[in-house]
Amino acid sequence: MKNLRMKSARAGLDMSQQQLADAVGVSRQTINAIEKGDYNPTIRLCTAICRTLGKTLDELFWEEG
Amino acid sequence: MTYRAGLALGILLGVLAGIALVALLLKKKVLDMHFDERQELARGKAFQYGFLTLLAAAYAYGVSDVVLGRWCDVLTGVSICIALSVCVFAVACILKDAYLSLQERPRAVMTLFALLSAVNLGLGGMYAASGDLMQDGVLTFRAVNPIFGAATLVILVVYIVNHLLRDREEAE
Repeated sequence: MKNLRMKSARAGLDMSQQQLADAVGVSRQTINAIEKGDYNPTIRLCTAICRTLGKTLDELFWEEG
Repeated sequence: MTYRAGLALGILLGVLAGIALVALLLKKKVLDMHFDERQELARGKAFQYGFLTLLAAAYAYGVSDVVLGRWCDVLTGVSICIALSVCVFAVACILKDAYLSLQERPRAVMTLFALLSAVNLGLGGMYAASGDLMQDGVLTFRAVNPIFGAATLVILVVYIVNHLLRDREEAE
C-alpha cells in the first residue's frame, strides 16, 4: 500500500526524496520504495524518518484496520 | 625456472595485484561496502540466487566433463561457474537498486567496469589471434580473461540499461 502520508509530509517540508534519504542515511531508491509501498522499513528507519519530518509514528505509519 | 613454476608465479602475482587494486579502490572510496537496510535485504536474496547458480553451474560443468570429455582446463571451467554466479548476483542486485552502496559514484564504478571489460576482452582477442585460446580442441586457462571480461560487460550493460529505463520511468 502506498504511503501517501509520508510523501505529503515530505512535500510539505519542501524536501526531495534525495534530501530525506541523505538525512536518514539511506538511498533515494529506499525512500521511493517506502512511499510506493514496495518496502516495509524497520522501526529504526521509521523513527528516523518521523524525526526528520517532525511527525509521529502513528501519523506516518499506522494503518487503520 | 620451469614453465609450470613460471605459470604459478604469474597467477600468484596477478592475484596479489588484484587484491592490492581492490584494497586501493576501497581506500579511495571508489568501492565501498556500506548499504542501507533495504539494500542489505536485496543483496541477501541476490546472494542466494548467485550461490544456487554456482552450485548448478559447478554440477553442470562436472557432468559435461564426464559426458563430453575434457573440453576446457579446470581453471577455465571453474572461472565460467564463478563468472555465471557473479553475473546472477550482480543482475539481481542491479534490478533491486542494491548493487552500488551509498558512497559509490556510479560513473566511477562503471568506468572501472568498462576498463576491466576492455582489457580482459582485448587480452582474449590477442590470445584468440595467436591461437593460445584453444589447444587440441580444449579451451585453455587463457580463456579466463575473456570470460571475466564478458561477465563485467554483462554487468555494465545491465546496469546502464536499468539506469536508463528507471530514469524514463521516474520522468513519466
